[in-house]
Amino acid sequence: MRSRWLASTFFVAKKVASLVVSLFIASIVIFLLLRLLPGDSSGTSLGVGTTQDQLEQLRRELGTDQPLFTQYWQWLGDLVTGRSESFVSRKPFGELIGHRLTITVPLSLAAFALSVLISTPIGIIAATRRKSPIGLMVSGFSQVGLAVPVFWVGIILVWVFALNLGWLPAGNFPRQGWANPEAAMRALVLPVVTIAIAMSATMVRFIRSAVIDVLEADYMRTARALGYSRTQALLRHGLRNATVPVIAIFGIELGTSLLGAVVIENVFALPGLGQLLLTSVDARDLPVVQNLVMALTTVVLILNTAVDLIQRAIDPRLQETRGRGHSAGGAS
Amino acid sequence: MSTPRRTPPTWRIAVASLAATLLLAACGGNGGSSGSGDSSDQASEEIIIGTTNEPTSFQRNVGGSSGISETTTRNVYEGLTSIDDAGEVINTLAESYDVSDDGLTYTFNIRPNVTFHDGTALTSKDAAWSISEAIGPESKSARASDLRVIEAVETPDDSTLVLTLSHRSHSLPFFLASVTIVKDGDKENTSENGTGPYQLEEWVQGDHLTLVRNEEYWGEPAKNPGVTFQFFTDETALNNALLTDAVDLVIQQESPDQLSQFENNPDYQVTDGNSIKKWVWTFNNKQEPFTDVRVRQALYTAIDRDAIREAVWGDYGVVIGSMPPVTEPWYDATFADIHAYDPAAARDLLKEAGATDLSFDITYVAGGTQEIIVQQITSDLADVGVTLNPVPIDDSTWYEKVYTNKDYETTLMDHNNPRDVLWYANPDFYWQYDNPEVQELKVASDEAGTDEEQTESIHELSKIIATEAPSAWLFQAPQIRIARAGVSGYSADKVAEPFYVANIVKSE
Repeated sequence: MRSRWLASTFFVAKKVASLVVSLFIASIVIFLLLRLLPGDSSGTSLGVGTTQDQLEQLRRELGTDQPLFTQYWQWLGDLVTGRSESFVSRKPFGELIGHRLTITVPLSLAAFALSVLISTPIGIIAATRRKSPIGLMVSGFSQVGLAVPVFWVGIILVWVFALNLGWLPAGNFPRQGWANPEAAMRALVLPVVTIAIAMSATMVRFIRSAVIDVLEADYMRTARALGYSRTQALLRHGLRNATVPVIAIFGIELGTSLLGAVVIENVFALPGLGQLLLTSVDARDLPVVQNLVMALTTVVLILNTAVDLIQRAIDPRLQETRGRGHSAGGAS
Repeated sequence: MSTPRRTPPTWRIAVASLAATLLLAACGGNGGSSGSGDSSDQASEEIIIGTTNEPTSFQRNVGGSSGISETTTRNVYEGLTSIDDAGEVINTLAESYDVSDDGLTYTFNIRPNVTFHDGTALTSKDAAWSISEAIGPESKSARASDLRVIEAVETPDDSTLVLTLSHRSHSLPFFLASVTIVKDGDKENTSENGTGPYQLEEWVQGDHLTLVRNEEYWGEPAKNPGVTFQFFTDETALNNALLTDAVDLVIQQESPDQLSQFENNPDYQVTDGNSIKKWVWTFNNKQEPFTDVRVRQALYTAIDRDAIREAVWGDYGVVIGSMPPVTEPWYDATFADIHAYDPAAARDLLKEAGATDLSFDITYVAGGTQEIIVQQITSDLADVGVTLNPVPIDDSTWYEKVYTNKDYETTLMDHNNPRDVLWYANPDFYWQYDNPEVQELKVASDEAGTDEEQTESIHELSKIIATEAPSAWLFQAPQIRIARAGVSGYSADKVAEPFYVANIVKSE
């Protein structure tokens, strides 16, 4: 018992340590990659009509004339101590994202929840009835869904539901934000559906193949031989086994929903994090871009770590057969 | 054990969750009779204006700050002078001013009984501070070099401001219109330090900026209770907002291809005014072969500007032959004929200059309009045996590579500043055009005693560049504004940066 507790603690500590190391490496990569971009924020903030002297003065004020190493530590220090501010508006980073989080977070969480709701049942049907017309149709649609860019789905939905039918606004989040909850929710419906449709296409395929793996497993045949119907066997033994790979996919997709929000906010004129990211890249507002990309990376890495931990908790085989790998069709 | 059934429970679960999903998606969808926006219900007379030109910051004296000028100059913050919708310089926070005989001393009488939005009275000290900051060593304002003709700023009393100049500057009252007056010591525009017909209520960056009427305004009060500028980063999203009544008015339609959905629609009114936006194809005048005036003239003559204008804007826009836009007093329509489209003449001129088999780059900021223009120029030049290589880059890279480092052969850019023809007198500007005669005319225009003299000098300057073609001016873009039917009180032309909103009303 004690050794198992120790093993678990060791496992968690190792995961957290690797998370911290990954984040550190990510910060260096993000910082350096952005320095490879031509153009700088001072030029874009000042624009046509200003002189070279004014440009150099702004660079001195912002510290962008310093060596890269100094700039990197400056950024990391500001990020950790919460002093980071925009090169362009000179506003603190926290102030810039405060209002935007109230749009992007609900948007991506709702899109994720909706896509789980859509793709789980469809994925299961597609697997259990994979040779029927319904199964083939689901496969076909998800294939098409994968190929279609997410912003295009957005444009089509706006055209149909906002411009022609007039049922929903074409984005345009209310100025009062969530103080006007009905308008806020209405503004998010089309973007949520857009991201959910795009995400479901991927998730349906993963869930379908996870369920197919389970359906073909030995223990399912044994269960059928014991007199269970296929559905009963699937519900009793299959779903928990299928959950392990599916949780990994959900983890990845939760990260994807954030990225989807980034792309889709522009189409729907939603002033969220994605829009801030795009305008900041355009203006070469490096601290803002670095902080945002770092935040997204952190969320994705934390999700991955969480997925590892959850999988381990769900599937005892992962705790015991360390190093020997695992097979879905193990001794259940 | 029950007998197996044909419809498995998973199927029913699936149907149930799908139904729940659709319900969720449609939730909130029954909020009104139509999807026509919550915005119109909030305040029946508040005006909502859509624009893509958001202020980047409320700090003062940084760059051209066209976003701040468009939304807040004249509306929230005022200068000693302003440029009205007709393009005339009018006294604003200055009640009047006197110019000494030598033209070197300007004495401004500050308008009495003006208060800032926090109730403090305006004095000459506030004006002195605001002007000193704009010309000070830390100023990063795009107008700093024009304003640095001011050598000394004095305030003999609370209602008098005296500016002493290093040389005559007939344009001083014009340039002062861009310096808004805030409270002594302030380095940022806030909701307290304006004097205009509106007070700044809030700016949520990336989303909107809201102004409310200043009931204590010294002049004629605004005709609407408030205005919101709603910001967009995507033209299509902006047009969608107009189509779904989420905005009342769009200041500038930038996508010609989306215009048709509004043009013959009685729910909208489209105005076609003059803008100050000039599309300019510029040569690097310090680089071979563009140092040869004949090469520049030949290249200008080789392109069909009217076809380019039409390809971009159809029936809209004006072909120009020099930098000044139609609304500036020194504009001359005949400039457009100096290098009229003539491919045969262009070929002869190139041959005369010994410039055969020319091949060079055009560096430009990637975008729909730019692509159309570059394609047209490329094919026109191909007709006279010149190869043009497109180099698309982004905005930031353009500022670094072209504007700052001057590392380019030719470049395409739109220029939006009033009186920017005078930049041809600056040999260090990115086009690197160095002509002493032009520089002298710029000085003469400053030294002018009257508007007529000034106009004459700048007209002459414009004519010289039109002939020498340091750049190829293509066309002036139209100022297309689209409003919902019933919205009125705005100017169709854009003559300066501010968009004055105090006269806008809507009748439902």
